[in-house]
Amino acid sequence: MMLAVNSSPHTLRSGSVTRVMLLVLLACVPAWLTFTWFFGWGLTINIVIGTCTALLLEGIVMRLRSLPVLPCLRDSSAIVTAVLLAFATPPGAPWWIPVLGASLAVIVGKQAYGGLGHNLFNPAMVGYFALLTAFPLHMTGWNIPGAQSINGVPIDPLTLQGLLISLSVTFPFLPFEPPRGLDVAVDGFSAATPLLFYKLAAQSSLLEQWQSGGALFERSAETGWEMVGIAFALGGLFLLWKRVITWHIPLSIIATVLALSCAFYFLVPGSQAIYGSPILHLFGTATMIGAFLIATDPVSAPSSSAGKLLYGVLIGVLIYSIRVWGSYLDSVGIAVILANAASPLFDMLFRQRLYGERHGWQRLLPGRKAGRNRQ
Amino acid sequence: MISRLQHTLRRLRRQPGYRRSINRLRGGIHPPENKTQSLQQPIVSPPLPPRLVLPLLQHIGPPLRPCVQIGERVQKGQVIATGDHGIVARLAMHAPTSGTIAAIGDTPVSHPSGLPDQSITLIPDGEDTWHPDCLQGLQNPFEHEPEDLLERIAAAGIVGLGGAGFPTAIKLAASAQGAIDTLLINAAECEPYIAADEALMSERAAEIVMGIRLLKHIVQPRHCVIATEDSKPAAVAAILAATAGTDIEPVIIPGRYPSGGEKQLISIVTGKEVPRGGRPADIGILCSNVGTAYAVHRAITLGMPLLSRITTVTGTALQQPRNIEALIGTPADYLLQFCGLRPSELHRLIVGGPMMGFTAHQLDTPIIKTSNCLIAATRTELPPLPPEQDCIRCGLCVQACPVGLLPQLLLVASKTSDHELALKQGLPDCIECGACSYVCPSHIPLVQYYRAEKGEMRERGEKRKRATHWERRYEEHRQRVAARAAEQQARRERLVKAPVPPSAAEVGYWTPPTDTPPADTPVATGNTQVIDPQRAKAEIEAAVRRVQERKRARQQAIPDSRDLTPGDGEQPP
Repeated sequence: MMLAVNSSPHTLRSGSVTRVMLLVLLACVPAWLTFTWFFGWGLTINIVIGTCTALLLEGIVMRLRSLPVLPCLRDSSAIVTAVLLAFATPPGAPWWIPVLGASLAVIVGKQAYGGLGHNLFNPAMVGYFALLTAFPLHMTGWNIPGAQSINGVPIDPLTLQGLLISLSVTFPFLPFEPPRGLDVAVDGFSAATPLLFYKLAAQSSLLEQWQSGGALFERSAETGWEMVGIAFALGGLFLLWKRVITWHIPLSIIATVLALSCAFYFLVPGSQAIYGSPILHLFGTATMIGAFLIATDPVSAPSSSAGKLLYGVLIGVLIYSIRVWGSYLDSVGIAVILANAASPLFDMLFRQRLYGERHGWQRLLPGRKAGRNRQ
Repeated sequence: MISRLQHTLRRLRRQPGYRRSINRLRGGIHPPENKTQSLQQPIVSPPLPPRLVLPLLQHIGPPLRPCVQIGERVQKGQVIATGDHGIVARLAMHAPTSGTIAAIGDTPVSHPSGLPDQSITLIPDGEDTWHPDCLQGLQNPFEHEPEDLLERIAAAGIVGLGGAGFPTAIKLAASAQGAIDTLLINAAECEPYIAADEALMSERAAEIVMGIRLLKHIVQPRHCVIATEDSKPAAVAAILAATAGTDIEPVIIPGRYPSGGEKQLISIVTGKEVPRGGRPADIGILCSNVGTAYAVHRAITLGMPLLSRITTVTGTALQQPRNIEALIGTPADYLLQFCGLRPSELHRLIVGGPMMGFTAHQLDTPIIKTSNCLIAATRTELPPLPPEQDCIRCGLCVQACPVGLLPQLLLVASKTSDHELALKQGLPDCIECGACSYVCPSHIPLVQYYRAEKGEMRERGEKRKRATHWERRYEEHRQRVAARAAEQQARRERLVKAPVPPSAAEVGYWTPPTDTPPADTPVATGNTQVIDPQRAKAEIEAAVRRVQERKRARQQAIPDSRDLTPGDGEQPP
C-alpha cells in the first residue's frame, strides 16, 4: 500500500487569498452604497470599467508570462485594485481615465514587479498617482450632489435620467441625447472636493446638520463626503473584526492626523480658517479609506508591529503636511506611495520581540543579559 | 481594589483560595479538536502482538547497546539494552513481555526519514512471565534519598513521554535541589486528535498525583502546578478531585494550540519566559509531562519499568478509534487492525498529531516511548495540501506565531538561503508548531521551508566548525615541521663543529668534511661515533623498533574519522 508522505502540519484552515480579497470588497460595500446615494452612478460606472480592464489585462499579462491565468484571476486581487482606484477617480471622468488607471495599476504597479505579493507600491495608488500627475484637470473635477440641474430643477442622480447623464458624461460618443437644458461640459457642473472648495476653512457640514437636527442623508445637505468617510471606517472595523487587518496602521494614521489637526487648529491662534477642523481632516477627506483600506494593503506595508506603527505615523504626517502645505488636492495616495518606498526599511530595522527576549523598554535599562548564549 | 489586595496577600502567603493568574498565549490557533472520537471507550490493552520491534534509539542521545544475544530467551521486564555514556549513562530498555530475541539489526523504525535503524525484534511466547528483578516497588518511597529514586527512574528506562524523549533522570538530576521554584506538570495536550494524556488523567488521576509527589520529593520545588486545558472536562474533574488536599495546584488554561509547548505553557502559567537560548531551569522551572509522572509512579512504587504507554489510535479510516495501552515496540498495523482499519480508505498514517507529527512510510512502524498518537486518515479527513501560491504578506501567520516571529520574512530568507536574514529574524527560535502554515491563505508549507533552511544553516555551521578544526590542525602541523627542521639544523651545525674521532677516518666509514656541507645533504646523525659494525647494526635495529613503536602509538591515537569535533582524539604525532 502506498501511504502519502508529506511534511507537517497535515491539516490546514479553510482560508484562501480569494476569501481575504472578498472580505476587503465586502468592506467597501457600505462606502459604495453611501457614495452612490449621494453622488449617483458615476462611481459604479468607474468600478465596472476599471474591473473589466484590470481582469482583462491581468489575464493577458499572465498569459504573456506563461503562468496559469485562471488561479490568478480567481484570487480577485485585480478587482480589489480596480475598486479602490475607482473610489479615487472622480465620477463623471471620461471612460479612458478609469481604463488608463486600471491598466497602469495592473501592469506597472503590480505585474511589472512580479505579480501579487511582489509589488513594492500599492497598485491602486500607482494608477491614481500616474493619472493625477498626467491629467490633473480630469482628476480633480468632482461631481457634487445637487450640481446637476435642468432649468434650476435638481436631478435625482439615482433615477434613470441620472444614470443616462452619468453614462453620457463618461462615454461622450454614446448616442444618448443629453437632457436638454443641461450643460454637459465637464467643467460646467463639476466642482471640487470640500477641501479645495472651502480651502480647508469649511466647517464640518455633518456637524452643522447634526446640530441643527437631522437631514444627514439629504443630498443637498452636503454631508456626503463625511458620510462616505464614516462608511469606510465601518468597513475598516469589519476588516478588523475579521482579522484581515490589524489595528496598528489605521490607529496610528488616524491618531497622527487627529493629533496634528487638533494641534494646529486649536493651538495656533487665528489659524482656524487655514488649517481645517479635525473632523474635516478625518472624515471630509480620504483619510478613512487611506487608513483602513489603502495603507493596510499588506503587500506594501511593513510586517512587524513597531514597523506598522511607525509606517502609520509617517503616512499620517505626510497626509497632513501635503494636504495643508502642499499643492495637491488631497494627499492620501501620495503619502501611501512615499511610505511604501520606506516600508522595506522598516522591515529591516524592526523585528517583533521574540519569546524569551526582553521588552524594548527593558533593553534600554542596564541589567542582566536576556539570553545565555544569544545569537 | 480591596478584594484584589486580599487576593494578592493570599497569593503571597500561598493560602487556599487564591487563584493563580493565567497569562494569555501569544498567537496561537483553534484547530478542530477531534479528540472525542477516541474517548468514547476506556483505555484498553490489546492482546500480545505476534512480534515486537524495539528500536535502540527511542530517546534523545546516542542509541543504547543491546545486551542480549539472538535466540536468547528473555522475561518480561528484563534489561535487553543499556546506555553506557553521556546522557544515556544509566538508561535501560526492557523486554515488554517474555519471549525470544529473534533478530538484532536494521528494521523500519518510527522516524520521519523512513530509514531503517538498529532495533531488537522480540517474538513473544505468550506467557508474559515477569523477570524476578521486577515488581519490587518501594514501600516508603518518600523515606528514600532522591539519588536512589533517580537511579530507579533511569533503570526503569523512563524518558520524557510528551514527545521529546529526553532521559528523565538526567533532567531531574540536572536541576539541583532547591534551584527549582516551580515544578510544572504539562497536562495541556493541545494538539488535535491526541487524547492519550486526557484518557490517562480521566482514568488514573490518583496514580498521576502519586507520581507528581515522587517528582516533588526528588526536586523539592517551592510550588507544584499541574496545568491542563479547559477543553477536557472529564480529565479536569478527575485531576481536581485527585489533587484536593495536596499542595499540587491544578491550573486550568484556555484551550488553544500550542499552549502545551513547554515554553508556551511556562509563560501561560508563570508569566515568566525562558530566556532565548536558555533552559527552563534557568528561571527555576522544571517541566514534566503528565505521562512521565505516571511512569515514575509505576517505576518507583510498583517496580515496573516503562514497558507500555498510552497511545491514541484514531482517524476516520478506523471503525473504532481508541486510546490504547500499547506495549513499546508494537507494530502500528497491529494496533490499527485492533481498531478495525479499513485498508482501502487509508490515505496516510500520521505518527503524532496533525500539526507536528510525521507521516509514516510503512504500516509496520513500531510504537516507541514517545509515540503518543497514530492517525489513520482518509483522503477526505486530511486531504492533500493544495498547491502553493505566492505570499501576499497578509500577516495572518504573524498573528498566529506563538514565538513572535515574522514568518513571511523568514520565508523570504529560507527561499533565498539568506542565512544572515534568517538568523537576524530569529529562525532558530522557531518551534515548528505549524500554526503559520495552518492559517496561511496561500497554502505555503512554511514549516517545511524553515526545516530546510535550518538544515542548511546547521550544515553550514558544521562545515565551518570542521574547517576551523582542520585549519588549526594544519597550523599545528606546520609548526611541528618547522620545529623539527630547526632542531635538525641545530644538530647538523653541532655535528659539523664537533671534532671527528680519528678512528672513524681509519675505518673508512666517515670522511670528515673539509668545508661546510650543503644544507640539503642528509646527514647520518647517529653514525659519527660508530666504530664497531656490530654495534651499528644493533643501534639501527633499536632505531627501527623505536620508529615502529611510535607509529603504532600514533595509529591508536588517530581519532574516529566520523568524529571531527575539535578537541576529541587530539594527539600530537
